[in-house]
Amino acid sequence: MITLYGKVMSRAARCVWVLEELGLEYEHVPTDSRTGEYKTEEFLSINPGGKIPALKDGEVSLFESLGINLYLAQKYGAGSLWPDDECGQAQVIQWTLFAATELEPPGAARLVEFIFKSEDERNQAIWEAAEKRAGPVLDVLEASLQNSLYLVGDCFTIADLNTSVVLEYLDRTGVDLRPWSKTYGWYRTCIDRPANQRVTEMKKTS
Amino acid sequence: MITLYGHNLSRANRCLWVLEELGIDYEQNKIDHRDGSTKTPEYLAINPSGKTPALLDGDVCMSESLGINLYIAQKYGGGSLWPNDDEGRAKSIQWTMWAATELEGPVITVVVERLFKPENARDEAAAKAAENKLPSVLNVLNTSLEGRNYLASDDFTIADLNAGCVVASLKMVGFDFSTYPNVSKWLDGILGRDAYQKVQAMPKP
Repeated sequence: MITLYGKVMSRAARCVWVLEELGLEYEHVPTDSRTGEYKTEEFLSINPGGKIPALKDGEVSLFESLGINLYLAQKYGAGSLWPDDECGQAQVIQWTLFAATELEPPGAARLVEFIFKSEDERNQAIWEAAEKRAGPVLDVLEASLQNSLYLVGDCFTIADLNTSVVLEYLDRTGVDLRPWSKTYGWYRTCIDRPANQRVTEMKKTS
Repeated sequence: MITLYGHNLSRANRCLWVLEELGIDYEQNKIDHRDGSTKTPEYLAINPSGKTPALLDGDVCMSESLGINLYIAQKYGGGSLWPNDDEGRAKSIQWTMWAATELEGPVITVVVERLFKPENARDEAAAKAAENKLPSVLNVLNTSLEGRNYLASDDFTIADLNAGCVVASLKMVGFDFSTYPNVSKWLDGILGRDAYQKVQAMPKP
């Protein structure tokens, strides 16, 4: 049995997308970091950092949203989210790390300003520096998508999921992605997938 | 044939550690951003961001230091750096991502602002903010190492290597690990490994 911990309005949404994409059966515990639920012994035994999401899969437990996704793809998504060939496997690992190290810092910096502050409380220096920092990162995506519809091979993989779900931070906080036209087209294709639409519906009712 | 791009003072160092752990034959191309050799068309075809390290392994071409390490471990380190069991594999992925998302940010900021930058260019507020983040991060590691020698299994794996190579940077600024006794013991153990010592002894640019 798979149990995912973390309310859907958190990075847990990333993992819900994978679970829905693979059609796996899972239990969803909407642990909320604001209510202290993450400080229970049960949760801290999975993640001593007390952050969501976390996952239990039988005897296996782990945290880190993009890592959970990589684990689920590798274990349950062979030939679909997890490519069959070595080149593809190397590439999906690369893009997952790229999403975490290059794309998430500017996206998360803007999201903090966007969610927790009103427009006039916003730290303009952080807000603008993050957009500027995102430019070269989007250039890398654009170069990589010149001749292909997806980041790895000919179909949607965990590389596309992990990267587009992080790119969403920039989109949501008003960075205009359209000048990176290939990236924008690819991004829309990814986030419009039915499995992610179901995640969007869950957010509305949460 | 494996080719690793990047010099010994770059994040390529992390990948050298893995290659040496596994005793794999490889070539190192010590391209350096300071002389423009990371911006040649040839290299940009390998990594469009122009950053190092990158790896070529036959048809496989990839960037991202910790990702390269995970790939090498999976391909060449089955049963050693890459555990045979699901739990060990899950934890190896987890600690790799954790090193990238939780640990690396504050560690690099501390090292850059306390050591790499010339004194008159240092950002004291950024250094302090990063130092304030470190206790909660290092406590996660310390708690996870309670009663065990390694992070993902009974033996040294890519989880230890990927988390360890990032924590190790704090040694450069003389960071005091005494309040994290499990981390301190674990770190001294893994940094004492022959492969790590061999990489440290290699000529630097």
